[in-house]
Amino acid sequence: MEFKWMLLCLSLLAVSTGVARAEDEIDADEEMIVSEDQGLVETEGDESTIEDLEPTDADTYLLFTKPVFEEKASIELPAGRLSEFLVGFTNKGSNDLVLETLDASLRYPMDFNFHIQNFTTVLLEKTIPPGSQATLGYAFIPADAFAGRPFGLSINLAYRDYEGKQMISKLYNDTVNIIEVEEGLDGETLFLYVLMAAACVLLLVGGQQFLYSVSKKRVGGGLPSRTRANLETGTKTSKQIDMDWVPKNVLNHLNKQKAQSPKQKRVKKTD
Amino acid sequence: MYSLKSFVIVALICTSLTVSSQNADSQQARLLVSKQVLNKLLVQDSDILVKYTIYNVGSVPATNVVLQDSGFPDEAFATVKGNLNIRFNRIPSGANVTHAVVIKPLTYGRFNFTAAVVQYKSSEGAEEPQFAISSEPGEGYIISYAEYDKKFSPHLLDWFVFAIMTLPAVVGPFMLWWVSKSKYELILKQKREKLSKD
Repeated sequence: MEFKWMLLCLSLLAVSTGVARAEDEIDADEEMIVSEDQGLVETEGDESTIEDLEPTDADTYLLFTKPVFEEKASIELPAGRLSEFLVGFTNKGSNDLVLETLDASLRYPMDFNFHIQNFTTVLLEKTIPPGSQATLGYAFIPADAFAGRPFGLSINLAYRDYEGKQMISKLYNDTVNIIEVEEGLDGETLFLYVLMAAACVLLLVGGQQFLYSVSKKRVGGGLPSRTRANLETGTKTSKQIDMDWVPKNVLNHLNKQKAQSPKQKRVKKTD
Repeated sequence: MYSLKSFVIVALICTSLTVSSQNADSQQARLLVSKQVLNKLLVQDSDILVKYTIYNVGSVPATNVVLQDSGFPDEAFATVKGNLNIRFNRIPSGANVTHAVVIKPLTYGRFNFTAAVVQYKSSEGAEEPQFAISSEPGEGYIISYAEYDKKFSPHLLDWFVFAIMTLPAVVGPFMLWWVSKSKYELILKQKREKLSKD
């Protein structure tokens, strides 16, 4: 009987320590301490390190507001379009915390050390009193070239405590899909349609020409059609000539020439 | 025997208490507050639309939510529509509310759009309110109306003056052509009348 009670006690202890250890591991995984020489030192999961570190007083929450996602759905960000998220920060401690920077970047999904695209680092310098909450807004645009591929999205919030100890909270560190926005009509599609329309018109013109030539052959019976050449005959009557624009001296000269013409003289003689 | 039993009972009670306290911590409302200036251009004496969005990402409703924005001083801004201090009785879990205010800047120059302050009760039994600050739109430049007018007005007066200045260059040649044309048409008319008489 005593053995049973002992076993129960041990199991309870194991469960409680297990819960504590799991919580510590989560904290250690999410928080990084920046040493005095500004190098990032990621905290390990061993007991000594966790004991050295004070438990974090910050509680963070990330919410994508544009585009809107279903809860626990895979995040899909549109390429070349604005994506926005809000970061909720709660100071659970008894001292002020100063928010320093908020940054985001796209990484190579197989190796998160390999940066693909860096986004703006927002300088905050915002003091959060104990027990208070703050919301931070951030917006970024994934490059058009990355459409249709998965990338690692890393969002980090840097803050420091009252002692000046700097910490980085990994708000998001997972793979996201960059999707291509399916627009109704882009330049490429429009050009394709114009080209197709031009090809159709060309075919119609070609067909019309072909049909015209075939019908001509049938009607004409193969004989060449006689076309009368239009001959320029010039001005037939003097009434067609407008003399108003001709200078007076030229008109007088012409009239004199007409008066002295031999035809007119002969006509006069015969009369 | 009894000591072991009592130890186990005490351990169980402690565990249940810690679990319940953890649950109580998790059973809280949590608000994320966004403040956005929706205008692309900020112009003196023109309306600016400011949008506040409150998201409750907690597991219980937030009650007695009071949003206050003291970031628009009376000497620099006039409130056209809406209220900069607003109260929401209840924001359910997973819901969000939007509030918009239309303001008008009375002066021009650089202006820092600061955060709004929200206070709410994170749970039904909470005695003290939870304080939260919204996101900041940051610094914006309010351009003067004269500067805006120079860039974006239809410039009707300018075009009218331009039209008057170009009139001589257009009307002069037109008048010369018209005189010549009418003279020629008159001669032609006289000629036709003469021919018809003959």
